[in-house]
Amino acid sequence: MGNSVIVRRLGLLAVLALCVVLLALVPHLPSYYVRVVDSILIYIILAVGLNLVVGYAGLLDLGFIAFYAVGAYAYALLASGQFDIHLPFIVILFIGAAAGAIAGVLLGFPVLKLRGDYLAIVTLSFGEIIRIAINNADDLTNGPQGIAGLDRASLFGLPLTTPVHFYWLLLVLAITVCGGVYYMERSILGKAWRALREDQDVVRGLGINTTTLKLLAFALSAAIGGAGGVIFGAFQRFVSPESFTFQESLLVVLIIIIGGVGNIVGVIAGAVVLVVLPEVLHFAAQYRLLIYGVVLVTVIVLRPGGLVSPRFNLGFIIRKVRTLWLSPSKT
Amino acid sequence: MALALENVSKHFGSLVAIRNLSLSFDVGSIYSIIGPNGAGKSTVVNMIAGSYSVTSGAIRLGATALNRLPKHRIAQLGVSRTYQNLRLFDGMTVLENLEVCFFPQSWLTFLTGAKRLSKAERLEICHACLAEFHLSDVADVLAGDLPYGRQKILELARAFVTQAPIVLLDEPAAGLNHTETKDMAAMIAGLKREDRAIILVEHDMEMVMSISDRIDVLNYGELLCSGTPDLVRTNERVQEAYLGTTEELDDIRKLAQSRRAQGGLRANAGIVRH
Repeated sequence: MGNSVIVRRLGLLAVLALCVVLLALVPHLPSYYVRVVDSILIYIILAVGLNLVVGYAGLLDLGFIAFYAVGAYAYALLASGQFDIHLPFIVILFIGAAAGAIAGVLLGFPVLKLRGDYLAIVTLSFGEIIRIAINNADDLTNGPQGIAGLDRASLFGLPLTTPVHFYWLLLVLAITVCGGVYYMERSILGKAWRALREDQDVVRGLGINTTTLKLLAFALSAAIGGAGGVIFGAFQRFVSPESFTFQESLLVVLIIIIGGVGNIVGVIAGAVVLVVLPEVLHFAAQYRLLIYGVVLVTVIVLRPGGLVSPRFNLGFIIRKVRTLWLSPSKT
Repeated sequence: MALALENVSKHFGSLVAIRNLSLSFDVGSIYSIIGPNGAGKSTVVNMIAGSYSVTSGAIRLGATALNRLPKHRIAQLGVSRTYQNLRLFDGMTVLENLEVCFFPQSWLTFLTGAKRLSKAERLEICHACLAEFHLSDVADVLAGDLPYGRQKILELARAFVTQAPIVLLDEPAAGLNHTETKDMAAMIAGLKREDRAIILVEHDMEMVMSISDRIDVLNYGELLCSGTPDLVRTNERVQEAYLGTTEELDDIRKLAQSRRAQGGLRANAGIVRH
């Protein structure tokens, strides 16, 4: 074993250690920064979830935030004085994910035959329908006033109240979601989705039921959105329809496009950029959408595939680390 | 197992593409469907595979009527196909292009009723198939990055990897040069098996004549003539149908002449394919 191998291994260890240290340092930052990181993590979860539908199955969904709303309102209705129901957070997390999945399938069925622009328009409308329905169902949701004073969440006896608590929860969830989606991407299901994105008719000709395949993508993606919504509800302890406008759906899609479609690493990068950018440019808050527009156009002109190259994906990183560790002579 | 078309008709609006066509294909043979452009060859393939519905008549695989089933069910029952224009999954590797064919045999078997294959079994079958089609060296190359000839072979491999009893090949030689066409013909001839029917739609007469057990000639959506290559080659109605329409008549004549002259099938060199 040569010196260079040891150096490289040490380098690898150093990078890993740096990541761990950075992640461990976050809770010691001022509350504002922790909130920004929380926000990044939430958007990573959402974008990785939406990426299942957009990036892998190739179905442009512009109404994704509806599932987030379903999750958030699941928490608001089941853990507040609204109906005096106070279920534990973890139970609602699963209920929210399940409700999201059901909503995903409900959206999926009518749009199965649509593609491209038409699909985008219908999903956009679906997102708006959910928001407007929430806005008008006064008896259930308090309409535009929203539901306030949601229960303080706790998980296995640990309180979930401060941004730091949510940081740990979101970190665990984000890693779980990324890992799960990565596993799915590598499985035959992921391959079938990619094939679906390329040529739907041929996929059908291979004996694959494309209806099942699309509904699975919608359901899984919506379940992730729903779970994210539950955490959002528990974090804010207040929900109102305003949080679930079309702009939010658009932001999640932008994260995917700017980061790199179908690439988990890209999506993470996209979430960091699009969440941090408005914070850095706080003084220009009223130009937020303009800034998104400029970033989008710049990225599309200069790097049409997204900020992160499709080659630099989770699989690539894992392979690199593995070869460096197990058989460094090959690298 | 046999595939049968019974009095099948296909109308596109007022256009009658196929009229009262009855054909039967048994496993163990190679069949070719030929005919001038617009004769309805591809329509037949698309109806069998379920891409087109049947206006009247029935298509049966064994005792199962195929023409009421969705496309993916037809494929699951054992009908696989290639396409006139290459339709590979370009962004996926050669191996993945084959692997994805086994999705119905994966953990979703509770929906398909198919026999479940483990990942290891699936990969073993795919690697064996790659070896059979001389594609092992490019297993991890993106399908879109292969040269055209090898893409054609990969599409062939994809049609055969699931051991489907009925394989439809829609112009396997289209776009190939003369040598590649001969290799393709040899490869298809080598794929003939007791438990498999290969149905070919092809313009290249040399290939059709050399590997087919039976040739069905279509003209204006009707069966003009059906029989062994020798029978079709000498049939006057076939020659009439082709007269002045395509170069295929020339091919047939040349082949017939050379066969008469030499008493055997000879390479028909010098024909430029488009």
